[in-house]
Amino acid sequence: MRGRKGDRSRNGHFRDADELDGRRRARRMIGVLAVLNFAINILMGSGVAAAAAVLIYRGGSTSTVRRAAAVSSGIVLGALTLWGVFTVEKLETTARGVVISILASALIFILANKLFDLPPSRWSLFTTLIGAGFALLVFALLWGNRAIDDPVLRTMVATLVGAVAGYLLGTVQHRWGRLVIGVGAGGLLGALATSGMRSVILVFELEQGAFELWPILPRLNYGVLAGATVGGAVIGLLLWQFRGRRNPPVRALLLGATLGFLVGGWLLPDLGTGTKANALVAGIGAGIGLGALLALKPIPDGSKRGRIEGSSRAYIFLIPALGFIATTLIIPTLRTLFLSFRDTRGQEYVGFLNYGDIFSSPNIFNLDGWTGIFGSKLFIVGALLLLIGVVVSIVVGRRSGYTIRFSPGTGGVSAIGVVLVAFAVFAALRGTIFNNLWWVFTVTVLSSSAGLAIAVLADRARWESLAKSLIFMPMAISFVGAGVIWRFMYLARDVSKPQTGVLNTVWVGIGNLSLSRGIGFFVAIILCLGLAILLGVLAVRAWRTGERTIGVGAAVSALPLIWFAYALWHGVGGFEVRENGDIVASTIQFVQKAPYNNMWLMLVLIWIQTGFTMVIFSAAIKAVPGDLLEAARVDGASESQTFWRVIIPQIYPTIGVVTTTLIVLVMKVFDIVKVMTNGNFGTQVIANEMWQRAFTELNFGLGSALAVVLFIAVLPILFMNIRRIQKAAV
Amino acid sequence: MTRKSIRIFALMAALALVAVACGDTAEAPPPETVVVTSIVTQIETVTETEVVTSVVTETETVTETVEVEVTVPVEVEVERENPLAGTTVTVFGPESSSTEAGAHQAALDIFAAQNGMTIQYTGHRGFSDLINAQAAGGNPPDIAVFPQPGKIADFAREGWLLPIPDDVLATMNENIGAAWNAFGNVDGVQYAIPTKADLKSLVWYRPADFAAAGYEIPTTWDDLKALTQQMIDDGNVPWCVGIESGSATGWAFTDWVEDLTLRYQGADFYDQWVDHSIPFNSPEMNAIWTEILDLWNIPGAVYAEGGTISSTFFGDNGRPLVEGDCMMHRQASFFSAFFPDGTPFGPEGVDVFYFPSVSGDRPVLGAGTLVAAFRDAPEVWAVMEYYATPQHADNRQRFQNLAQGGGAVLSGFLSPNLNANLDLYQPLEQSFLDILFTAEVVRFDGSDLMPAAVGSGSFWSEATSAVNGDKTVEEAIDAIEASWP
Repeated sequence: MRGRKGDRSRNGHFRDADELDGRRRARRMIGVLAVLNFAINILMGSGVAAAAAVLIYRGGSTSTVRRAAAVSSGIVLGALTLWGVFTVEKLETTARGVVISILASALIFILANKLFDLPPSRWSLFTTLIGAGFALLVFALLWGNRAIDDPVLRTMVATLVGAVAGYLLGTVQHRWGRLVIGVGAGGLLGALATSGMRSVILVFELEQGAFELWPILPRLNYGVLAGATVGGAVIGLLLWQFRGRRNPPVRALLLGATLGFLVGGWLLPDLGTGTKANALVAGIGAGIGLGALLALKPIPDGSKRGRIEGSSRAYIFLIPALGFIATTLIIPTLRTLFLSFRDTRGQEYVGFLNYGDIFSSPNIFNLDGWTGIFGSKLFIVGALLLLIGVVVSIVVGRRSGYTIRFSPGTGGVSAIGVVLVAFAVFAALRGTIFNNLWWVFTVTVLSSSAGLAIAVLADRARWESLAKSLIFMPMAISFVGAGVIWRFMYLARDVSKPQTGVLNTVWVGIGNLSLSRGIGFFVAIILCLGLAILLGVLAVRAWRTGERTIGVGAAVSALPLIWFAYALWHGVGGFEVRENGDIVASTIQFVQKAPYNNMWLMLVLIWIQTGFTMVIFSAAIKAVPGDLLEAARVDGASESQTFWRVIIPQIYPTIGVVTTTLIVLVMKVFDIVKVMTNGNFGTQVIANEMWQRAFTELNFGLGSALAVVLFIAVLPILFMNIRRIQKAAV
Repeated sequence: MTRKSIRIFALMAALALVAVACGDTAEAPPPETVVVTSIVTQIETVTETEVVTSVVTETETVTETVEVEVTVPVEVEVERENPLAGTTVTVFGPESSSTEAGAHQAALDIFAAQNGMTIQYTGHRGFSDLINAQAAGGNPPDIAVFPQPGKIADFAREGWLLPIPDDVLATMNENIGAAWNAFGNVDGVQYAIPTKADLKSLVWYRPADFAAAGYEIPTTWDDLKALTQQMIDDGNVPWCVGIESGSATGWAFTDWVEDLTLRYQGADFYDQWVDHSIPFNSPEMNAIWTEILDLWNIPGAVYAEGGTISSTFFGDNGRPLVEGDCMMHRQASFFSAFFPDGTPFGPEGVDVFYFPSVSGDRPVLGAGTLVAAFRDAPEVWAVMEYYATPQHADNRQRFQNLAQGGGAVLSGFLSPNLNANLDLYQPLEQSFLDILFTAEVVRFDGSDLMPAAVGSGSFWSEATSAVNGDKTVEEAIDAIEASWP
């Protein structure tokens, strides 16, 4: 949002001389730009031609043919480039932007390096350049924003003053002399800047044609100014005391007073309603303070100058990256934090009201359903499984001398129990926050375990790469695309019509099959039972050969087949019997029926993310040293023992990385929910809630507060991840 | 070529690509936009008095291309140096179907061709969300087509919209009635120009089906309920209902609420309800919501194309009505654009009757769209002024009629412009206009007048929860009341 401090003039029409001035300048600037533009385009064309020619020329033997080819292809490429930049407008502007910024960056970089070569040998030249550069920068900013009158003269004088002061401060050793120079130059610069200051700045936007006025003259309250200065000085002294009285107190005192003066002179007062005298006072005072601060620092000796040269290199390299991070990451974060304590449009401070709203809104945080947890079938089954798993583990553990010992079997049963109990809890507690936690839990657990299972099962199998490519493929689909695809999968139509959604077609089809009692019906039942018998045989054989886990797995997977055959016999699938005895089709409202519609949405993300976890786990498993596995086999470990006792401990760090990455990703889930339900039907998540509050309702306070909550929730996991990476690096 | 140089070359190429990608997004239309391809307007010959326009209509269902030659009389000012020449104006609005968006663009193209400028209309179902983000992000279109006066008020108070200058204002006042203009007036300043009117209190039905089954058109609300029950008893499905509409899901239910509020409680209550001097969770509101949901929840009362009411796109109700899956569908006049192509209107095809009143006072619920400007430039104001002229109204009507197949079809467009050419409208459409301009009690769609947090926020989402059975009526209206800013 653009700042709107001043009165934005109606219709943006300026009847002010400033407007005309601005327009004239803009026109002149456009003229200059056009010439520059042309030059740069030509440069680009010839640059590409030359580069192409040189590259081809240098490629190998220098026969005449090759030479001719190099030159001609260079010309062709250069002509193509020229043609492109002159005809395709967007290409031209983009290419121009790229070239200008690369050239400018390179130039600034080189100059900065050259500048910081100076300190060890030519200190006074360094300080002169710094002084002139600083003054030039400040006045150029004021000039560019049209904040001062007679900008050319003032900027020239200021640069001169800066240079002279820099030179003198770089050469004069005498303490009081330095102070006089610093105070004089600072005061002079402050006076130069503020004596010609206008009451407002015209913010002129070339592209939008919109104008804005920003007030700048501060209305001073001298009591407040004095108070702030004294307060700053006291704080400076206290800090000096607190930090062990290292340097003489004058500097700390002066620094505090100057900062206090700046706050009292520019931050606290009302901007725009002050007089020039006010501005002059505020400007000269600040200048004197800063000048004196500089002057109090003695000229550094040789070793210090060397250090200045050395450490400045790091900053020259870091500043572009830091600036980028600051503008795109840190400033928006701070602003969000700031807005979360303000009202809907960020105008007034409201304390923790927005955070209170989050936790008092029944749509976001609702504990009302907690009693329902204990009655649900899921909870009972889950709790029973967990109980069995834990009790058996304790019994087994006693025998082998541990308090508790999970085997793959009992551990698996307990884990399923935990998952079921968690589902029961999340299905009963409603609201955005619990939905988000549900997402985090389910997607992380299922996606990483499915990925691990596939990675293990496919490892060294026959069609490994094909199977893995197929499973990895959904990763290439965007979340929005996946949401749209799955909407079609889940689609339901009116029950009187044939279904078009894949899942409902199957569901209603099973219902029809079950009711038909035709040939298909019997074939299906025989097929199910046959498969179940095969699995049973496999289970018995595996058990006998000692592969007990496989045996149990086969037996367990036979159970659903038997159940399905039984259910088919009794009637299962998409139909219902009306009161009058009519049998009509019945569909599953995958996306609309709360609370389990959340699970169907999560399935989309699991479908996408399993490929990711699979690839990472697969790489980790393949990285387990072969001699370890061989040693385990020599010692007589079975396949499942090798997996649980050798491979899992080996890939443990990978599991950590995968789960934390997943958790962070899932916490931010937005696209899938936005596309599939837009948060309706009890599927709201924090990111979408934030979007709706901030952008649908324009409640930036609440939206920002939600963003902060999400940020705080993600922080510990990010922290853990970074810690792990750092440890690994050491 | 050495390895190193190849690498540098690739790096530069990648950089340039990134830059091109970044550069492109700045001016590209928002993602997922419906690209208007259905109507291609080409100004072929420009004489001093007329412009011959060829319109190519293409839709998904009809594979053949229908070419229609129409002569659109346009006054062309022969001007050597048109100050608008070469300028570009962007318009963003919620009309995204090929018919509506196509006709909107085509009507603008006429003006653009006359002045040698470019006007780009972009329509998106998620308009109400996206325009917020665009305006708040400082990247709005030049002109936005608002379906909600409430949002115009929000935006104007935010300082985002520009007041309409006097010359444009004069054109508007000349052509559009004060009652409609009032919807674009915020705190005494005019910010928006009405461009489209909708009559909402309508029920679509097929006269042939009614005649065959011996049903009478209901004239009171009780008759309507009795008819519903009778249809169920006869084995027919009385209603087609669907409230899904992307990020605006739920608005179709709010129309029912507003219509019934006008009928049960009267215009005064309605006004107080809209401006929140009566709380949203008043017992009267509760009764009205319950009344509607009770009607919809009678077993067999509703055919929902998408399985449930809340998952059926509101525009998907046209086909089932035509094919006899249901007998009635309550929706505004613009819905004629949502019937399958070639659907005849009138006694032989699809017709409308007035959504019955409770006490015989025949109140009317209306709605419409208004345009407001974000950028202060002569070309933008020229387009704004064009929106206020009868030329725009007539061009839009012509193109939308053509897009619907041409001839005796309902275009789905009604103009609030008093000087529009009524001959361009079918008798049924003329009667709509007549009702809108002459009915004693006319009220604008209430949810569109409420603050955005309610009108395009909680009213929609809580209505969806209530319709879907996730919340009781009481929970839903309490939540709406709590969300009122």
